[in-house]
Amino acid sequence: MNELIPLIVIIPIIAALLLNLFAGKNKIIKAIAFIVGIGMPILTLITGYGLHYFGGHQPLASSNIAGLPSYITNSTLYNLHPAITYSYTPLAKVFIFALGIVVFLSLLTYLNSENKSSGPFLFMVFMGTASVSALILSDDLFNMYVFFEIAALIQTGIIIASSAKDNYETALKYMILSSIGGPILLLGITILLAICGSVNITDISLAVSTLVQTPISRGVLLFAFSLIFFGWLYASGLPPFHVIKSSVYSKAEPYGACILQAMSLISLIAFVIVIFRIFGDFDLFKGAMILISIIAMVLGVSMAVVQTDFRRMIAYLSVGELGFVGLGFGLGGKFAITAGLFQGVNEMLVTTLLFIGLGSVVYLTNTSDTRKLGGLIGKNTMMAIMILLGGFAMAGVPPFNGFRSKLMIVEAALTSGYPELAVIIVLISIATFIVFVKSFYTIFLKPQPNDLKFVKESIPKSMIFAVAVLLIICLILGLYPGIVTNPISQCIGGLL
Amino acid sequence: MILLDMQLLTLFTAGALIIIGIFAAIYIDNIIKKIIGLSFIEEGVNLFIISLGFNKGGVVPILMPGMNTNWFVTNSAYPLPQALVLTSIVIGASTFAIMLAIVMVLYKKYGSLSTREILKHKSDMGDEQ
Amino acid sequence: MYEIIILIIIIIFTLVSAILALVKTDLLEVAILSGITGVGVALLFQLLLAPDVALTQVIVGGAIIPVFAALAIKKTTRVDDG
Repeated sequence: MNELIPLIVIIPIIAALLLNLFAGKNKIIKAIAFIVGIGMPILTLITGYGLHYFGGHQPLASSNIAGLPSYITNSTLYNLHPAITYSYTPLAKVFIFALGIVVFLSLLTYLNSENKSSGPFLFMVFMGTASVSALILSDDLFNMYVFFEIAALIQTGIIIASSAKDNYETALKYMILSSIGGPILLLGITILLAICGSVNITDISLAVSTLVQTPISRGVLLFAFSLIFFGWLYASGLPPFHVIKSSVYSKAEPYGACILQAMSLISLIAFVIVIFRIFGDFDLFKGAMILISIIAMVLGVSMAVVQTDFRRMIAYLSVGELGFVGLGFGLGGKFAITAGLFQGVNEMLVTTLLFIGLGSVVYLTNTSDTRKLGGLIGKNTMMAIMILLGGFAMAGVPPFNGFRSKLMIVEAALTSGYPELAVIIVLISIATFIVFVKSFYTIFLKPQPNDLKFVKESIPKSMIFAVAVLLIICLILGLYPGIVTNPISQCIGGLL
Repeated sequence: MILLDMQLLTLFTAGALIIIGIFAAIYIDNIIKKIIGLSFIEEGVNLFIISLGFNKGGVVPILMPGMNTNWFVTNSAYPLPQALVLTSIVIGASTFAIMLAIVMVLYKKYGSLSTREILKHKSDMGDEQ
Repeated sequence: MYEIIILIIIIIFTLVSAILALVKTDLLEVAILSGITGVGVALLFQLLLAPDVALTQVIVGGAIIPVFAALAIKKTTRVDDG
């Protein structure tokens, strides 16, 4: 059912507008949020794979019009895609389904832990969902740029909507960086447009693959590559943007932070696939990817060590985990890329688990400073154990999903002749484990300080439910990784 | 003279606007000036896109009745960049408005528009690493 | 030929007002000068055969952005004391 493809983007947008319409009416807002939250994952399952041309404008070559003059059929125009094209692939399905789960669970915790649901916050959640879904669906670079800007505005909005201290400063800083990063990305897209005369990614990659041999156009392409690469770094929060990205995560409420990290992860995936499709033949591509990934992993973990705020710690750890995704693309080849994308799915689910799980600590005590916390295992033992298992999943302890994907990346690094990278990956995993266990000890096991005050008595059931569901998904993916890796590798096989 | 080419001159202007904007974003202390500088980056990029579609001695890409289609195709400016810029202008304006709104909130808190002032307050908390 | 001369005059206006906007200390003047840059860019669009984009830019760059900036300045402070 190809007609359903645009609905994946349209339904969240309509839901967002409806929520704004019913601002103040608590029950209606909750009902709409629940229905759309459940409906979106189901929609991704029933939609059929394929292409959707907006307005029905197919390329002339596939529309079979008889009697066209030869000066049209022989020109490149005959094969160009004139309309915005959405392509729904198994890869998009996996990521949008995972996004749907994250959005649903974070909405569940939000609606149950706050007395009054705020229309603007839900508006931004759904708008953000729509924009990142469009990013991963779209086959059109300019369309991606538009949704990239919308996603940046939404992320600012989610920070503003939270009640954390100094959220406006972080929001302003993020906006200033976004209005440098956005135009630079647009400039890169424009150079590609000037070279190819189209903004469709399929057309551009076709044109670039023939142009890359000539030395003059190589320089121009290199310039476009560096501009788009910069925009990608900004969108995904890799270094040098890891500081602002992690402070963005820590300034949002826990349920907002889940959505923010899912959004930046999906923009990372969407743009890295585009860069890979267009510039994959470049020698520079692999080197730049590996370099930036290693810097991200090392910086992420080493900055997580010194944090006293555990929300910031998870934020830095999740930035470090993003490096593994880039590494998969840097190594190249079907197996490595599949491993990187699988790591992306795992990271999204595990970080959500940790944000919601440790969000329960913020919910109970209204502080996220590890120096003021301690002995919380007595409050809810089950939650503490589930958070510990979630941390294991992030660090890559068997039998969880993080172990599977990291093992795959290590294998890929060994087979492609980079044993040093394999060593770095293992070291980073061990460091992640140590950082996590250390902060787990200070939050849950250390004797409780006397001045620790509880603002709420118990954790809402919805939080425990959400964390349990995510943990079960992590376990299932760890035992049967084929659920995710088969569709991804099938789709990557088509790209290579 | 090659310097008197319209396309080249506008490309140069676009580059100058982008550089002025980036300079403002890095060195100017006042937030409102900084944000106006950021809007210059947007305008520069838009100008860059439009000048790429320019066709010397051409016509506006609107097909009027009575025009010869073949002549029009070879002589009109390229319309796709123009369609893209319309969206880009609106995005720039909305980003600008939201940044000004945040600045107004921050002014109430700090009583100053200086970036240094706000960042100093931030580092007092030990928040930045 | 006269087209080129008009173009050069517009370019000089645009760039000079953009630089002046960053130098002036009265923020209201800064807002007005940014408006001049916006209008200059719109005129360049017109010369580059994009009249519909020029119409949008003259409204956004020449009116909306300076008015928003002026409103923000009215709510905050007019002097750049940095």
